[in-house]
Amino acid sequence: MLNEDKIKLMTSIAMFEKREGKAIAPAGRYFRSDYVSGRMLRSFFFYTFSYLLCVFVTVLYKLDELLSATDFTPVIQLARGSGFLYIAGLVFYLAVTFFVYSRRYEYAGRGMKVYVAKLRRLEKRYEFQSRTRELTKEGSRYDDVSRA
Amino acid sequence: MMMFLVLKERLKSFYGKYATLANGLVKFLYSFAALWMMNDSIGFMTALQNPFLMLLLALICGFLPYGAIACLLALVMLVHIYTVSLEITLITAVFLMLVALLYYGFQPGDSYWLVLVPMAFFLKIPFAVPLVAGLSAGLVSVIPVSCGVVIYYILLYVKQNAGVLTNDAAVDITQKFLQIIQALLANRTMVVMIGVCAAGILVVYLIRTLSVDYAWVIAIVMGTVAQLAVAFAGDFVLDVSMPVVQLLAGAFISILIAGVYHFFVFAVDYTRTEYTQFEDDDYVYYVKAVPKVSVSKPDVRVQRINNPVRGQQSRRR
Repeated sequence: MLNEDKIKLMTSIAMFEKREGKAIAPAGRYFRSDYVSGRMLRSFFFYTFSYLLCVFVTVLYKLDELLSATDFTPVIQLARGSGFLYIAGLVFYLAVTFFVYSRRYEYAGRGMKVYVAKLRRLEKRYEFQSRTRELTKEGSRYDDVSRA
Repeated sequence: MMMFLVLKERLKSFYGKYATLANGLVKFLYSFAALWMMNDSIGFMTALQNPFLMLLLALICGFLPYGAIACLLALVMLVHIYTVSLEITLITAVFLMLVALLYYGFQPGDSYWLVLVPMAFFLKIPFAVPLVAGLSAGLVSVIPVSCGVVIYYILLYVKQNAGVLTNDAAVDITQKFLQIIQALLANRTMVVMIGVCAAGILVVYLIRTLSVDYAWVIAIVMGTVAQLAVAFAGDFVLDVSMPVVQLLAGAFISILIAGVYHFFVFAVDYTRTEYTQFEDDDYVYYVKAVPKVSVSKPDVRVQRINNPVRGQQSRRR
């Protein structure tokens, strides 16, 4: 027979999984430090690649100036400036990454607690149902005994 | 009002029944409109102007997620621009990659702002997107909306200088880079419009999250006023010429669009607001409950008492 309460609970769990599944996944798969450091590593590569693209465009923009220079002074100045910008930008970007993903992990942790609570309720429902069945079976066992 | 509420209920019911079809249709129309506008403004690649090809691309987009649609549209845009100049294609591609890597690495899923902003600018309703973004998204949407503004001004630059960019074969490649980058960086109108969009989103978001009656309506009006104020301030300070009548007309249409969005997403009845207060061991709660405006969809059933066809058959017998 259909159990309406159980269906409601399972539907709400399925809806929760659909809506929040991606957001709460990190809390179930990773430790906080692994998750945040992994994202920071990815951000490092993204930032470095983006920076190289910017350097490429800047070099094209200043190519005439660089080629017409008689000594290496403008090249060295450009390299120094780029290096400083790279490190400053990287520190800022990694700080933003750390902040964003730490908060996302906290959110995921809270979501996971709600999800686990819902699952426990469902488990209790199952336990209650199986206990009821056992009790009913006990009743039938006595019937069997009486028949024997 | 009742008619619109009934229409809303009917639309909700229709969406509930045919959600997959409706989503696909919306994506198809969104992609087709974007392709159409792109062809209209920078349609330099004649092969891509074929209406059947546009329909086919839009149809494919109907089955793709919004991120993939944005990538496809970006590819079409780059192909159009490449027909004009390799240099500006390279600059645009680098810009798009920077946005994709640095922003969409964090926040995938709102790439539609990048497409909607240039579309709104082409339709002369630039204020509409910041208003809707402020109502629907958070403050972070300032970044994709601003990037959308940059994309629009790149497209405008290509459109206005297509002849110069195509026929400038004699000019050195580095000179071309220099000219293009300087022209884009020195575009004050672009800076003003980025400021306009940022101010609009900020004001709308901050007001609509307040716990005051008619917060969304106030947010829409104040957001529009803030955008107009920044536009006129930019006009004076940075000496940018703004078409006043066009801006005001655009602002009016943008308010209407934001109003429609407000009606469909956040229709509440402030006249029936209820307040309640209770406490538990740790806190005292002051609750303000505003009921949503909703009507039940009219369920018209025609009960036919006499069946003329059946009656005729029985008479023949």
